[in-house]
Amino acid sequence: MKLPSYRLNRFISALVVYTVLIVFAGIMLFPFIYMLTTSFKLPADTFRYPPRVLPRDPITTQVIGYTDALPLYYVDDHGTQKEYALARSNIQVGTFAAPDSLSATVEKYLTEVKPTGGAMTQKTVMVNGKEEKLYDVEANGKIVPMVLLSTTTVGEFVDPQNPGVKLYQNVRLSQPVEKISAHPENYNDVIALQGIDRALTNTILVTILVTLGQMATSVVGGYAFARLKFPGRDSIFVFYLGTIMIPFVMFIVPLYQLMVVIGWTDRLAALIVPWIFTAYGTFLMRQHFITFPKEIEEAALIDGASRFQILWQIIIPASIPALATQGTFTFLYAWNSFLWPLVVINVGNEKNHVLTLALNVLRGRASDTPNLILAGAAIAILPPLIVFILGQRFFVESVASSGVKG
Amino acid sequence: MKLIPQRFTEPNFLLRLLVIWRMVFAALAAGGILAAWLIAALPLWQQILITAALGLAGGFSLAAIPDIRRRNHRGRTISLFVDYLAFVASAVILLSVGNVFVGIDALGETFSRGIPALGVILLGYIITTTSEFSPRVNTIAPGANYLDIAGKWVMLAGAAYFLLAVQAPSGLLYFLTKILQPAGLLALVGVLVFGLGLWMMGNKPVANEMGSHAHNEQMLSGWLFLSPNLLGFLVFFAGPLLLSFYFSFTDSDAFNTPHFIGLANYARIINITFRPLSSATQLAKDLVDIKTYDEVGRLIFGNTGILFAAEDKFFWLALKNTLTFALFAVPLSVLPALLLANILNSKLPGMKFFRAVYFMPSIAAIVGISLVWQWLYNATVGFINYAITLGVDFWNNLFNAGLIDPRIQWVSDEKTALLAIIIIAAWQTMGFNTVLFLAGLQNIPGELYEAATVDGATPWHKFRFITIPLLAPSTFYVLTTTTISAMQIFEQVFILMNPPEGPNNATITLVLYLYRSGFQNFKQGYASAIAWILFIVIFGITLIQFKQQRKSGVYEN
Repeated sequence: MKLPSYRLNRFISALVVYTVLIVFAGIMLFPFIYMLTTSFKLPADTFRYPPRVLPRDPITTQVIGYTDALPLYYVDDHGTQKEYALARSNIQVGTFAAPDSLSATVEKYLTEVKPTGGAMTQKTVMVNGKEEKLYDVEANGKIVPMVLLSTTTVGEFVDPQNPGVKLYQNVRLSQPVEKISAHPENYNDVIALQGIDRALTNTILVTILVTLGQMATSVVGGYAFARLKFPGRDSIFVFYLGTIMIPFVMFIVPLYQLMVVIGWTDRLAALIVPWIFTAYGTFLMRQHFITFPKEIEEAALIDGASRFQILWQIIIPASIPALATQGTFTFLYAWNSFLWPLVVINVGNEKNHVLTLALNVLRGRASDTPNLILAGAAIAILPPLIVFILGQRFFVESVASSGVKG
Repeated sequence: MKLIPQRFTEPNFLLRLLVIWRMVFAALAAGGILAAWLIAALPLWQQILITAALGLAGGFSLAAIPDIRRRNHRGRTISLFVDYLAFVASAVILLSVGNVFVGIDALGETFSRGIPALGVILLGYIITTTSEFSPRVNTIAPGANYLDIAGKWVMLAGAAYFLLAVQAPSGLLYFLTKILQPAGLLALVGVLVFGLGLWMMGNKPVANEMGSHAHNEQMLSGWLFLSPNLLGFLVFFAGPLLLSFYFSFTDSDAFNTPHFIGLANYARIINITFRPLSSATQLAKDLVDIKTYDEVGRLIFGNTGILFAAEDKFFWLALKNTLTFALFAVPLSVLPALLLANILNSKLPGMKFFRAVYFMPSIAAIVGISLVWQWLYNATVGFINYAITLGVDFWNNLFNAGLIDPRIQWVSDEKTALLAIIIIAAWQTMGFNTVLFLAGLQNIPGELYEAATVDGATPWHKFRFITIPLLAPSTFYVLTTTTISAMQIFEQVFILMNPPEGPNNATITLVLYLYRSGFQNFKQGYASAIAWILFIVIFGITLIQFKQQRKSGVYEN
């Protein structure tokens, strides 16, 4: 009897659950979507209010009598909306009135009026206690000296089919006719602007070397901790564990001084070599190897295999998932690191910049073109994101297990 | 091996040779110490370092001689250790004389041409691995697996192409010309001689002669396996950590010789005073000596209050901002994560998709993310203010209310600058924490919930009395890691704010202040002291969290 209400409850709770999930997914994804779409925009499009997600281009059209293609705008022609081309902009229109009847205003182009008494000896009149210049304005077929109350800027819009038909209205308040488009050349531009190609190459190089090096040292180190008994091992392990907690910023000053001594400031080597030796990676590898069944190893030892053969031929092939996980973490860490490169690589030495540093410089240099900045950001963000999407399930699960163990 | 007459590979002969070699080694070490003090014009600390290293090596080398004579295995261990360290040192010297480390920069120049070759290598690897999944993999006949062989050839071709593309031959040539100078040749001789020493002591017959057992071999391979990591770790982390401790007691400025100044750095940092205010607007100079103290802030109660003044006001502002940041960013990241994890733990379809989406921010480069948010926060054309405007208009239309659009100047208003950073940080870490919580939830046995349902528990009761207690270890882990990283907030501030310390120092944080002291003002001794204080603060917070967890973790098994 309660069945319908139970199903209704289930439906409602599922609705609530999915609403919450989708709202959060929107919050999580929106900055990425914004980054991508903005990186395909024109600079003017990025500064438009209200902001829009998709990139749009103004549509231009050829009009007889004009050499350049003219941008199309929506204009209000006696209550109907039409698409007209903007032929001229920045036309100054003045609102004039005779000094004795300020409420009767006349609108004229500033080019159509002349200063009363000539440009050098322009006559003036006192209006409301202020001295105002007088202009000769034609009103109702007569030339009347008038004062200028205000000026506005309008554009001249022409009907593309019939260039004789003209309309004047404020350009800034007119909606341009647009189509959705994309400007992938922004990526070329940003690469040319900031040497991002070199920074990208350096980042790939640094990331590959750090990842491979760190894997190598932490695999053999982790194996020694997990499987080889020798005096001093456990105290060293405790020491390693203790340093995992130490925040990275503790090291930057002394490590920088060390780099000064060995002459590695401003060198890519400083971004690579120190990061090959990590306590954390070694710890994770040890945690993994310790779960590996001992019997297989003992059998191989009896067969005369060396420790290195066991590690290389038996344990590593069986540990590909763990290695891939740690490799991905190292990849992300090396790819995204910023503080250490900022400290050790000179701002002026663009040849040795990595992406994060190049972005930092780009931020100041291209502050009026968000499309380029965000194209640069996309170059830095997308490769790790693609790696993540490819190995997503696997990767997330290993993060989860690291949390449970740790 | 047959090229060498057997007489020379005979263990007793080799061991006699090794005894001589140990003496020569000690003599060389002594010579090296003398050279360091007499000939080379080295800084004092380098002379001390060389003396200590060579003294130890030479001393151990001599100490090994009686043990080698007595065929005591300890002599073999010491001999191998000393030769190994010397071998590694000469190899590193050889590489740096050959400009290998510095030459990575040159590789940066040519590397882009080699990237396609890396793709070829990857292709070869993929071919090789697909062969493992093919059904024929278990055939024992050699060469049966053509895919495997083809893949290996592709990898080899890719590697060759890569080396040519990055101009490895000319690099090698450069390396050879570089090491053909006295220091390089000396290092090369060192590598060969110490390598020979290692081989002499390491080979099987000698090992047997020295009475090596399985546990000895295990010990030696243990140290050998650990050595790359341990040596690098000592040089690049443990050593610098000690140095940092020393620097924090000096006036080091990265250029001149540092002077030991005792606790002066720490004293300056923590020097803060409190003075009661007689009125809310009383000036700081009436209460404290403004030659030493700067006003940090004041607490006002009605007409009176307390004035905080410190010798280094930036440190205290940074500490205040960092703690405020952590206080808001951590709950804002952890609480939604807990909610989301509980939702994702339901068995509804599509949860893996959402989990992946939530995880995405935590893998993106913070620098890039901060640039994106910088434009989202833009006061005139940013989407955040636009969303607020839409919301306000909607509300006003709906209820005919007179709400005013706040038009927040997110990053240039000192009231919202820190909030802007908090939001980014929470956004970025939330997904990571969700996944950690989710893992914790999936470890809670489902029978508990079933039993509770049978007993008539409401969902809230289940959450309160099953989920929360059993999730305590995950909660502890999440809270600790989030807090530790929150205390080190830097990149978001550095990128988003211009200048990084924000309007009226609203976003100066401890790491930012450390960076500014150490690398813009080059007061590196002072920066080291700030680093240690930051460490103590982080350690203290972690300790408190740990104690709390111990107290509340009664359900932990």
